[in-house]
Amino acid sequence: MSLLDALPTPRLGRGGYPNAVLISLSVVMLAAVWGLDTVSVAPNRIVQGESVHVQNAFGWPGALLVSLLVIALGSLAYQPSRIHYWAALGVVVLLLVLMPFGLMVASHFLIDPELPQARLGIGGGYWVVLFISLLGIVELRLRLGLKRLWPVFILSGVGLIWWLCAWLWLKDLALVQEFKARDHQFIQAIRQHIILVSTAVSVSVVMGTLLALLMRRFARLQKVAFALLNFLQTIPSLALFGLLLAPLAWLAANVPFLAKVGVSGIGNTPALIALVAYSLLPMVRNTYTALEEVSPDTLEAASAMGMHRIQRFWQVRLPLALPVLLEGVRITTVQAIGLTAVAALIGAGGLGTFIFQGLGQAAMDMVLLGALPILILALLVDAGLGALAEALRPGGVQ
Amino acid sequence: MIELSHVSKYFGTEMAVDAINLKVEKGQFCALVGTSGCGKSTTLRMINRLIEKSDGEITLDGQAIEAYDPVKLRRRIGYVIQSTGLFPHWTVARNIGLVPRLLKWPAKDIQARVEELMGLLGLPVAEFAHKYPHQLSGGQAQRVGVARALAADPDILLMDEPFGALDPITRVKLQDELAGLQARLHKTVVFVTHDMDEALKLANHLVVMRDGHIVQQGTPLSLLQHPKDPFVESLLGGLERGLKQAALTRVKDHMSSMGPTLPSQFRIPADFSLRQALSMMLRDHTDRLAVVDQQDVPIGELSLRKIVKEAQLEKGSMREA
Repeated sequence: MSLLDALPTPRLGRGGYPNAVLISLSVVMLAAVWGLDTVSVAPNRIVQGESVHVQNAFGWPGALLVSLLVIALGSLAYQPSRIHYWAALGVVVLLLVLMPFGLMVASHFLIDPELPQARLGIGGGYWVVLFISLLGIVELRLRLGLKRLWPVFILSGVGLIWWLCAWLWLKDLALVQEFKARDHQFIQAIRQHIILVSTAVSVSVVMGTLLALLMRRFARLQKVAFALLNFLQTIPSLALFGLLLAPLAWLAANVPFLAKVGVSGIGNTPALIALVAYSLLPMVRNTYTALEEVSPDTLEAASAMGMHRIQRFWQVRLPLALPVLLEGVRITTVQAIGLTAVAALIGAGGLGTFIFQGLGQAAMDMVLLGALPILILALLVDAGLGALAEALRPGGVQ
Repeated sequence: MIELSHVSKYFGTEMAVDAINLKVEKGQFCALVGTSGCGKSTTLRMINRLIEKSDGEITLDGQAIEAYDPVKLRRRIGYVIQSTGLFPHWTVARNIGLVPRLLKWPAKDIQARVEELMGLLGLPVAEFAHKYPHQLSGGQAQRVGVARALAADPDILLMDEPFGALDPITRVKLQDELAGLQARLHKTVVFVTHDMDEALKLANHLVVMRDGHIVQQGTPLSLLQHPKDPFVESLLGGLERGLKQAALTRVKDHMSSMGPTLPSQFRIPADFSLRQALSMMLRDHTDRLAVVDQQDVPIGELSLRKIVKEAQLEKGSMREA
């Protein structure tokens, strides 16, 4: 608190009240920088790494620079104004851009070039700062009223810098080493992951839309279908994968045609079935609500002007429902990206493979190699589809 | 011409409209007035078959509406509603051009028609054509709604409380404009409202409805002079009825020729209403006004005593007839 007391008192009428969110975030960040380990150093892959704190990892100048940036963020939030928010956004971006260079400094200080197996792990403090910076960007985007594509632009730039650093200079980072040891596998896994997700989502978009349309036509179907889909949603994903194993294996064994097209107890088929089953509920619910929510006055006007049913659906109901409908696709896709990780357990491949292998080998960096791309994929889809839905709002605004 | 004979509508067992007879001549402006739930909107929507009648017959120009395909029928009938029903994802120009587009007019004709209508309704093309409905004020949005209804030049215009959601000043302005439009276009209009002043101002055929029945219909003046029962009388404003009647009467119909001297220093144009004249007398503490023409030249005089006497005579002669 002494830190906050030292800051100037807010002047009323100029900036308004201090932004509690950003101040809390920077306090937590500062605590994490100094309280948690920043990196860990291990002589090889198996041995538990040794924790290193910030002043030893980055040196005192580095540690002070990080602290100053975090304090600057907090102070800018104390007297919020548009200019201060833009400056705060600059500070957060600077922090994100500097982070890989911090790792370079740490690897220079801590990794003995004589030990080829030695590796640098990323510590708790570092992760906390990374995630809080991302939260900070979300908060600042809302305060500045920026479009949803802005964070995507910012993070793509930051990501590029990270990628370059990892590629060119961060050979000692455990994550990079895990990647280099299996880069072909990695590309393959990402491809499998994306194919599984996009197939499952495409199928559920088509099925979900058809189901929603049927439900609108036959009111009685609505209760039954929602009950069933809700029930499906309550089955734990792992259990559903397991439940599908036996009947699908039996089918594959007894119906040669199905076996030929790739149906089997493990692998892609049960994974796809389970993913579609889970995706249907959010898809149907959003499609149904989106179509139902279109203002009855607007629809009646469409009829009164002399539109046929089909014209009314394509020209009025569907375009007006589209933003909410896309919201459903967004939720479904993000959910499927996460669920597909579990599908690795039944041999469907994808990024989940690294997570479960890493867990089995107690190699946390390998888990990260699977988990981080899933996270990034989910964020990209979220922002991309969110921005699309935003752009499709009636008249481009609202 | 629209003719309804013995038209009824039941929703389940509930009777919404009960065997009504109504005839709207070509070019007539017919207002359906009544309290909420009296069946006036239902009646209106049976005409363009948004609601199918349960019983009776509705004819347009002598032909039963069942003979028309409902979609084609609606493209021939303009429709304006209180909430405008504009399509929020379309620009003003696209909204107005909807029916011509459905009728597959050539693009050039549609554009010309849209611009013509925007001019007619006081919406500058450069300023409004590319705006979206949520960027318009209530009055502007309703102008677009009226323009859209007129787009394919329908003979019939159905309006369901079109100005009900507007502020009083905008409402009066749009009423005046609608009256002006009707004087030029001579559409057959059926207009639903619960605002009696609006109905008296616009309509030349007034229909009072209650509980699905037509209580009384006729010219506004005839209803004002001889309301059939206390319900119609209260709807017409009770004690205010005299003033409402005066509002429908022109000064020139009651003026007498002018004597050698100017009867009063206060002047009123001949085409003002009697109500405005009475208001002026009260305001200026006088019982005589000089009536002037458009060039402000005195052409006659109006006296309070004479107005009252003529009203008595009128009432007496109506009674005898």
